[in-house]
Amino acid sequence: MAEWEQVNDPLEPMNRTIFEFNQAVDKALLKPVAQGYRWAVPQFGRDRVRDFVRNLRAPVVFVNDVLQGEPDRAMQTLMRFAFNTGFGIGGLIDVAEPGGIPYHDEDFGQTFAVWGMGEGPYLVLPILGPSNARDGVGLATEWLSDPFNLYMDNIGQDWAIWTRAGVAGLEKRERLLDTLDEIERSSLDYYSALRSTYRQNRTAEIKNQLDAEGKR
Amino acid sequence: MLDRRSFLTAVLAVSASVSARPLLAAPAPDAGAFILGLAESAMNTVAIKDLSDAERSNRFRNLFVDTFDLPEISRFVLGRYWRSASEAQRTEFQKLFEDIQVYTWTRRFKEYNGETLELGTVKAEGEDFIVDSQMKRAKLAPINVSWRVRRSGETFHILDIIVEGASMAITFRSDYSAVLSSQGGKMDGLLDVMRKKAEQIKLG
Repeated sequence: MAEWEQVNDPLEPMNRTIFEFNQAVDKALLKPVAQGYRWAVPQFGRDRVRDFVRNLRAPVVFVNDVLQGEPDRAMQTLMRFAFNTGFGIGGLIDVAEPGGIPYHDEDFGQTFAVWGMGEGPYLVLPILGPSNARDGVGLATEWLSDPFNLYMDNIGQDWAIWTRAGVAGLEKRERLLDTLDEIERSSLDYYSALRSTYRQNRTAEIKNQLDAEGKR
Repeated sequence: MLDRRSFLTAVLAVSASVSARPLLAAPAPDAGAFILGLAESAMNTVAIKDLSDAERSNRFRNLFVDTFDLPEISRFVLGRYWRSASEAQRTEFQKLFEDIQVYTWTRRFKEYNGETLELGTVKAEGEDFIVDSQMKRAKLAPINVSWRVRRSGETFHILDIIVEGASMAITFRSDYSAVLSSQGGKMDGLLDVMRKKAEQIKLG
């Protein structure tokens, strides 16, 4: 428990200001759009969007599996990418999961953690929300090294990069609709509750605890 | 003074408890079964349709008080502030904490939409058990939920619920201590904020 005692938030005043800004943007725009998306697009359609966005991320997940020294998981990601891109119509349908190769996520923030890097101070990023120094650097690394982004940038189709980021964000916000509502409703200080939830959830992700029990 | 019958009962009880371990081959009450049983009784009593808010709250409160170790959770959530709090403040805290939980959970059960709980592995951790489970939801991704339970006589008490890796007890602790420090470390300040919160999320 001791590690949770310190809040690790030396930038709290700045973080709270950004948090207020994010809350305003969320209430006015992001949340209504996510609710509209859930309401207007049936489950089947949303699953296709999720599968497609996940498949686009497969190269990044693969690189991070390798960097974390997880050859089995890297192989899973590679196979999934091959099957889903081929048989799954460019990634629209996750055919690998029912075929016995479940999805898992990885990112550079998790890889840095596996390498022994500490999380650094807690950070609230504009629009993107809860993060920390390590995960922020991870996000930037991903943005700059993602093969899809690099390719689109190369051929001058920057709109594709932004569209993809927007769709991925929308998909994520829709998935978190109930969770975030619950945390806000049951907490006295939403900022602190979210900070604590983020840190704990990241720790579980780094240890790959969530996909070990889930997805089966 | 003992009359003969109660004396006999006492002797029987003592001898039963002495011999219970080696003789009773019945399996120890199992933490996983406890969680499944709890989920089932919540479905059958709290989650059913057409209950008034007050009735649903009452039913949940009964279940909650029976199955959660509220004093232990309160101590954990308040951390060092528990020791410096007066008896009256502790009682008030526990009551408000219970109210906030009851209103939050009553709403969850009111919005119940066919979710089911699927049991995963159960592992011992010190004197506690961690029961892994998955909440399956209609049309939405399942949620990983683990329960920290402790044996208490013939049954168990819940100490914590861990949702997608985030412990509710730790989250509350961090949330409540943030409020406490913004209130200058004063328990009465926290109790005020809690009173407002309870009022705000109260149903009906």
